[in-house]
Amino acid sequence: MKRFAITLMTIVAVLAGFGPGVASRAHAQEVQVQGPLAGAPAVIGLRVYRAMRFQIQLHAAMSLQDEYSRAILPGGQLMFHPVDWLGIGVWGGFAAANIDSTLTDQIVAKGQTNAVNVLSLPNAKLFPEQIGRMKWVAAPQLSFIPLRGKLGIFEKLFVDTDFYLFGGVAFVGLEERSNVDFAYARMCSDMTKTGGLAAAIRCVERTVDPAQGGSTRTSRVAIAPTFGAGLSLYLADFLSMSIEWRGMPFPWNTSGTDESGHPRGDFPDQSINESDRLSHFNHMLTLGFGFYLPTKPKISTAD
Amino acid sequence: MNLSFRHDAFLKRAGSRAFCVGLLVALALAPTAKAQDMSFDVDEAESGGSKSKEPAKAGGDEASAEVSGSASGSTDTGDVLSELTRTTKKEKEIGEGGLPREKEVVEKIYAVQRMYVLRGGRFELAPSIGDTFNDQYVTHPSLGAGLNYWITNVLAVGVNFLWYQGIESESKLNFSIRRSARLAVPITEYQLGAHLNFTYVPIYGKFEMFNDAIFQWDAYILGGVGMLRTRPVAVIDPAVRTFDFDWRVAFNAGIGLRVFITKWLTIFGELRDYMYMEKLENLQVSLSARASQSTWIDQNSTLTNNVTVQLGFTMFFPFTFEYSYPK
Repeated sequence: MKRFAITLMTIVAVLAGFGPGVASRAHAQEVQVQGPLAGAPAVIGLRVYRAMRFQIQLHAAMSLQDEYSRAILPGGQLMFHPVDWLGIGVWGGFAAANIDSTLTDQIVAKGQTNAVNVLSLPNAKLFPEQIGRMKWVAAPQLSFIPLRGKLGIFEKLFVDTDFYLFGGVAFVGLEERSNVDFAYARMCSDMTKTGGLAAAIRCVERTVDPAQGGSTRTSRVAIAPTFGAGLSLYLADFLSMSIEWRGMPFPWNTSGTDESGHPRGDFPDQSINESDRLSHFNHMLTLGFGFYLPTKPKISTAD
Repeated sequence: MNLSFRHDAFLKRAGSRAFCVGLLVALALAPTAKAQDMSFDVDEAESGGSKSKEPAKAGGDEASAEVSGSASGSTDTGDVLSELTRTTKKEKEIGEGGLPREKEVVEKIYAVQRMYVLRGGRFELAPSIGDTFNDQYVTHPSLGAGLNYWITNVLAVGVNFLWYQGIESESKLNFSIRRSARLAVPITEYQLGAHLNFTYVPIYGKFEMFNDAIFQWDAYILGGVGMLRTRPVAVIDPAVRTFDFDWRVAFNAGIGLRVFITKWLTIFGELRDYMYMEKLENLQVSLSARASQSTWIDQNSTLTNNVTVQLGFTMFFPFTFEYSYPK
């Protein structure tokens, strides 16, 4: 399994564009000695931080590269590691805050509504009420820890460190603008002929204004693959600090606007529905502190 | 006479055997030395310097054991090894002319692990690819090449060159905002960039992979100043306005991670922010002087941050280097 994993990492390096020559040199860094040292492990006296230990992590996650709203998710992670290089567990977070982006503020301040975009932006002031927001995430996942080492800072402070990859399935709680069907949107649009643009705006406004009653927002759960990588810095035998990046690609309607669904192509179809959920590669950065049980790690031997 | 002669010959053979036994013992202890060379152990993690004192202590113990052994002087025991040792000690203690030799001083010697790579005095060539990290409206992917000269093992001065034109693209978000909110976000296009940088390596480390392979890596910070050639993309009045590229002074700062594949080849990834004052397209269209180029550009400059992720590999020249030791 270890050989397979090393080979896999080498293949990844080759596919990343560094060429077979480089990969063979990387493999040559294995400890290849003859005599009594043949087959000896590369390292002995190593603190085995993960094998047969539980990790309870408290963290704060933040979504990145958001178009309209950024989610801040405090949460936790529970992992069990049967061996030092593999763990299984669940990662989760709940959005304690959703912070609107500058673009949202700009649209609130300067957005224009006319007969063409009345469904997408019925009232610029109410734009924050129609944008999609991430409310919570729960992700059962596997962690794979291929690299273990340490780093030295200014040649004075040395910290045990490991690098990990993870993958799993994310269940993402979303809140989006409620669907607006074609018939209602068409009825509102037709009002421009009788009552002018103001009448049409008042009609569509009801779909985004919570003050006018009705269900303006809908919650749903998106299921998506999740994966990422991180570094754990071991501050003590039982404590680590982690920083990780997470990706979760899935489609959702971040703007609450009419983007797609027209039978003749990728054009607005005068309705707000599933077809307006555009694919987004959602990024997330997590900073956490992990506690390990049992609190004392084993020390590796030459066996 | 014959018997005496044969006895001397036996002692010589015994001496050879003793040497072989000693060699085997040394080889048996060698894993410890190896572990020190690639140490990830408890002591080193807790304190960089504490471990280094142990070999000196062990050396001292060995020396004292040697002295006590010679003092006790196991003679005529039939033990060939002891006999040989006793004779050798006598020879050591009495020098030429029967004068006593100077007493051997046991020095403390601190074992310090050699650096995996020496960079001082070497050149580093770094081709890379990059992409924008912070701009959702337009991406500025780039092809890059850098050349560093390492003044010391941790400090380098260098230049990097980036080419953007032809591989940039406007995001779908920009179009969507124009259609849905009737708002236009002024964007720019890059052609090339050339920058002078200083690199400093404050953090280094190593990783082992499944207890089989070991990778050395370091983290670095860098910063510098250079020139960026950009122009606005006409989105407010594209029917009339066109723009030419112009030079901007750009400062840059970043952090990076370099992993050594060999002693001359590394892969790296870095996050760098190129900061400059940008001239954007004027959001106002002057109906009376629409064709006048002087009205196309916004009179105010806008601080622009182009945060990029760059990935690539580096090659050190010359490929080889020599460690220097105290004489």
